[in-house]
Amino acid sequence: MKMSVKKLATAVGTSVALMAAGQAAAEIKIGVAGPMTGPVAQYGDMQFAGTRMAIERINAQGGVMGEELVAVEMDDACDPKQAVTVANRMVNEGVKFVVGHLCSSSTQPASDIYYDEGILMVTPAATSPAITERGYDTVFRTIGLDSMQGPAAANYIAAQGPERVAIVHDKQQYGEGIATAVRDTLEDKGVDIAMFEGITAGDKDFSSLVTKIKQADVDYVYYGGYHPELGLILRQARQANVDATFMGPEGVGNDGITSIAGEAAEGLLVTLPPAFDQKAENQELAEAFAEKGEDPSGPFVLTSYAAVQVIADGIEMAESTDPFEVADALRSGTFETPIGTIEYDEDGDMESFEFVVYEWHADGSKTVAK
Amino acid sequence: MQDLLYFFQQLINGLTIGSTYALIAIGYTMVYGIIGMINFAHGEIYMIGAYTALIAITGLATLGITWLPIVLLVALICAVIVSSSMGWAVERVAYRPVRGRHRLIPLISAIGMSIFLQNYVHLAQGSRNIGFPALIEGGFQLGSEDTFPLSISYIQITIFITTLICMTALSTFIARSRTGRACRAVSQDLGMASLLGIDTNRIISATFVIGAALAAVAGLLLGMYYGSVDPLFGFIAGLKAFTAAVLGGIGSIPGAMLGGLILGVAESMTSGYLSGEYKDVVSFGLLILILLFKPTGLLGKPEVEKI
Amino acid sequence: MAANNIKHALFCAVITLVISYPILGLNLVADGAVVYLEGATTFTVVSVFLAAVVVFLFQLFRDDIMARLGFISRLNPLSGRDPMPQQKRAKLESWVLTGIIVLALFWPFFVSRGSVDLATLVLIYIMLALGLNVVVGLAGLLDLGYVAFYAVGAYTFALLSQYAGFSFWMALPIGACLAALFGLVLGFPVLRLRGDYLAIVTLGFGEIIRILLNNWTNLTGGPNGIGGIPEPTLFGMEFGRRIKEEGNTSFHETLGIAYASEHKVIFLYLIALVLAVITGLIIRRFMRMPVGRAWEALREDEIAARSLGLSRTAVKLSAFTIGAFFAGFAGTVFASKQGFISPESFVFLESAIVLAIVVLGGMGSQIGVILAAIAVTILPELAREFSDYRMLVFGAAMVLMMVWRPQGLLPMRRIHIELGKQG
Repeated sequence: MKMSVKKLATAVGTSVALMAAGQAAAEIKIGVAGPMTGPVAQYGDMQFAGTRMAIERINAQGGVMGEELVAVEMDDACDPKQAVTVANRMVNEGVKFVVGHLCSSSTQPASDIYYDEGILMVTPAATSPAITERGYDTVFRTIGLDSMQGPAAANYIAAQGPERVAIVHDKQQYGEGIATAVRDTLEDKGVDIAMFEGITAGDKDFSSLVTKIKQADVDYVYYGGYHPELGLILRQARQANVDATFMGPEGVGNDGITSIAGEAAEGLLVTLPPAFDQKAENQELAEAFAEKGEDPSGPFVLTSYAAVQVIADGIEMAESTDPFEVADALRSGTFETPIGTIEYDEDGDMESFEFVVYEWHADGSKTVAK
Repeated sequence: MQDLLYFFQQLINGLTIGSTYALIAIGYTMVYGIIGMINFAHGEIYMIGAYTALIAITGLATLGITWLPIVLLVALICAVIVSSSMGWAVERVAYRPVRGRHRLIPLISAIGMSIFLQNYVHLAQGSRNIGFPALIEGGFQLGSEDTFPLSISYIQITIFITTLICMTALSTFIARSRTGRACRAVSQDLGMASLLGIDTNRIISATFVIGAALAAVAGLLLGMYYGSVDPLFGFIAGLKAFTAAVLGGIGSIPGAMLGGLILGVAESMTSGYLSGEYKDVVSFGLLILILLFKPTGLLGKPEVEKI
Repeated sequence: MAANNIKHALFCAVITLVISYPILGLNLVADGAVVYLEGATTFTVVSVFLAAVVVFLFQLFRDDIMARLGFISRLNPLSGRDPMPQQKRAKLESWVLTGIIVLALFWPFFVSRGSVDLATLVLIYIMLALGLNVVVGLAGLLDLGYVAFYAVGAYTFALLSQYAGFSFWMALPIGACLAALFGLVLGFPVLRLRGDYLAIVTLGFGEIIRILLNNWTNLTGGPNGIGGIPEPTLFGMEFGRRIKEEGNTSFHETLGIAYASEHKVIFLYLIALVLAVITGLIIRRFMRMPVGRAWEALREDEIAARSLGLSRTAVKLSAFTIGAFFAGFAGTVFASKQGFISPESFVFLESAIVLAIVVLGGMGSQIGVILAAIAVTILPELAREFSDYRMLVFGAAMVLMMVWRPQGLLPMRRIHIELGKQG
């Protein structure tokens, strides 16, 4: 009995693999792994929109070394356990280049497998420094690190000359990582950190925290985490007449914050990658997205686009589809992408990645903060 | 002086949360008192109440009705109707058929129901957090801005008063009305009560409906107070409320009130003086300690094991 | 009577509408700062009304339908058959099991890497479910914090390898024993509690463990988790392309074969298979031992069991500890398979899934639990679009199982030992 179910699974798996192998004559497979389901699926949509557009446009221009790019899309739901399964299926499919994953917590275990199997991976969204710290020579990204974004925010805060700052985070890898980077930078600059505290993600009652912030009498509150919690904190803080300025990373900079915090979102500061879709040289690309009914303004759309492009350019440059040679090419070359000129350091991180501080408004629009 | 004010502010925060825990806890305590089972799905009923209230408020706004008393009343009525129906249906579908079997069976059925309802709302309404309009805004402050002003918002006062009204009404209902007397009879001895001509099925249904209605009230109030709803928030709130019910002595209505307030204050003091990260550790720890050392809770009567 | 019936049926139909229409039919949509309502698709609305009509008709003709349904069990051609003789059945069962294990041993060499990896996950769930089966199915103690012991096993291995360089084989017994110790220490005070209180306390305990793992950043890395957990080695041979630890050799070089990425996955699968078989065998042994009988006796009637001189604490504690032990086992394998663990993997949902497996498989039955573990893990993989509905179906299935077939799909049959016929 036990066998028959497994066999069924196998049969399905192999037949899919065979079908894929049949058409593998002149094409390069690009694995795209990210969340299609689960709580952060909306970020996954951005990733897939970006990679689909990139692959379509590169193929329209004759592909890479005369071969077509073919996407192999898989859903990891941002769950570390499913990410490992997905990574193994990528190996199965004979994929040599992967764009993904999205969440740091699922990227990390998956990258172990990619590294072992000699697969080149470019993550367009995972910002945890730990991912590229381990000396894996086939791991790259097209996004900045927590350790870049944190200081960008901290420098902005420090420049305003605040007396005291509170730092709050959601006790998750992403939130705590950025919050720690902000704290360290501010401490170096001699700013007084009045509190550094974690909350429980998914919680709804922040009245005690807000009271604490109020008593600490701070000028700035930095929040490391995502929008559902910050939205509530903002609202409950306004209700209790807290007059500090709030600031958060790109995880809070989306429509959700406006929907939850309403009026209280006015004046919130957010560090975001620059609005690439607003750049003059990307105008034609932005129109192409609009034509397909996709929104290019999400923070991970164009980074995902760039990830595909970097891989394609790397292959052209190395004149080979061997991931190790492409990895060497990536480290030595410079690449023109919609998110700017990319140069890689030894770890596979971008030499520089700019973050811009935006001011959020109650109607959901944003302007560059002074 | 400032420290004292800070303490009072945290106390007010705690009492507000605590009184809504108490409202939810009633559902646990009444059901447990009568049929001796933990209605695990009660937290989900509270969540559905909050969603229905939000749907009603949004619907009214679309129709252009914004006069506050009407909006609140309609939202309340809708939430209570839908939640109570849900409570009734859950009892009919998942609990009545397994009543009287081994203790684990209704409990597993309840956990299944809880998972089902969570995902039912998740699939129907999406998993995103949705903002809940703060209909009652503003408040007043004691003390001046340069020290630490003690602020109490109108919504906090509303929550507190509503809870008191509901509790008093419920206590009177249980003590005076015919159904209330039947409830007490059934909770003392279900078999005997049915021999004496009480329709026990109807009484048990009534218990579920009353508990669900109060949970719906809590759903509306907390939705406005916190500011957002999502399909998962009923589960943890339900656990907290259950803790409150056990703390106060399960089966006892004043106990639920007391337990809720103590739990709320304990949580808010933990976040206020220690760290918000350990809030849940403290409430679960409190639950474990109470169950270990005084399983009957603060106001509960010792349960005689029937052979 | 008929009028009464119609009234009741109407009432039920109206309730169905009330609980489904607002939630399913009116969707909240957030667009920027504005939240508005959107009517659901016609299909949904029609289904809601159809559901109400079905409920109405069902309640109206309830008695008739129930009487008809009685036929179905009579239609089963096997229902009238005499049960197979005990000995024959036991023999058949052990043959079938041996066959399955032999097949499972050779199977991975012929299939793809992804399937083997998924099968390893299934085996981990089988270990977990077999362990929880002892606690819930046999001893009748509802443990909702089972995932805590799983976490203890996984974190023990991760920490030992990170700080002390322990290998998988050294950490495996330590992880399992530590989990068992946790079970013992936790079980001692809480097992005095009645069933439903026990469920809540274990749930609270599971959450506390997870929160502590998440907050104790210095030791556990907090939310960042622990990475770089080594894979198991075979007599000091590593399976990776590159050797990670000094002094180890690489499998493909030692044996002089070409490197293949499948080796590692298959090896891990085989380890999981062996451990799962060991788990199954040990628990099977326990079930036939006096302690196993005592678990069931206590589950069926605590007062009677105690009056026969069984120590309630000792019996419950043994079940709890053994369950925790195997969770630690599974946790170690999980950590090794993932190479990276963080508190995210040990949430309540995981406990709920393992509980669902045990319940669906029929509490107490081993084969049932194994089949349920396979079904619950593989079905969502086979149909990805189904994965959204997975928990909905689990929840509904748990309720339906309790209502219709609390003994599970394949209920356990007690092993009888017959005395030889006299004269």
